[in-house]
Amino acid sequence: MAARVLTACVRRHLVLPRPAAAPRPHPRPAAPRALCTRRPLAPAPLGPQVRPDPPPALPGSLPVPVSGVLQFYRCYSDEPPLSLETITERVLYILKLYDKVDPEKLTVDSHFMKDLGLDSLDQVEIIMAMEDEFGFEIPDGDAEKLMCPQEIVDYIADRKDVYE
Amino acid sequence: MAASRLPPVTLTLKQFLRRQQVLQLYRRILKVIHQVPTKADQHYLKEWAREEFKRNKDATDEDAIRMMITQGNMQLQELERTLQLANS
Repeated sequence: MAARVLTACVRRHLVLPRPAAAPRPHPRPAAPRALCTRRPLAPAPLGPQVRPDPPPALPGSLPVPVSGVLQFYRCYSDEPPLSLETITERVLYILKLYDKVDPEKLTVDSHFMKDLGLDSLDQVEIIMAMEDEFGFEIPDGDAEKLMCPQEIVDYIADRKDVYE
Repeated sequence: MAASRLPPVTLTLKQFLRRQQVLQLYRRILKVIHQVPTKADQHYLKEWAREEFKRNKDATDEDAIRMMITQGNMQLQELERTLQLANS
């Protein structure tokens, strides 16, 4: 599904610069931005000057959206290295966004059921949100043991080979 | 969901396994719902699934729970089929 969307985007971007006489700026900036919002913490690691093979500036073509596209692919392929702090930050951020969690009560060690008053279904949903955020699957057996943010952080750090 | 709000120590082994089955079913349903294209539908389906699970959370009869799990699995399959049809 996602692959199909991506290829559709790529095809659109690759075809468009050719007919320089008919620039259509609207659909182009919209697509990368919409996709980029999924990774708010991923910085654009390299500036435009490091771009490989900059496209020749045709008169009439739009260079800005094209560079945006290339940067967007950089974002996607190059994740910033995870550290324990960034993992903790992201885990807590997701928990704060979850509507049943009270951000005031939330700490790294608060138990989902005892301290935050969630039920087992909420816990399943939280684990799935973590899978979405960090992009890997947590098997059922492990998922049910993760009962507080610190455990989630430790588990993710373990799986992603992050040490202090 | 047999007595899942009690501390897990009080669950018998059978109940414990059932509880795991129920949670797994919920997880699978959520995963399928995640593939639904529109956000509004996703939200609606999530609420629906949650309500169904919550409504029966006090059930204790072993056979009834087993039947509900089977029913849930059937609805999950139906959802999957419908999604496949919609996507093809």
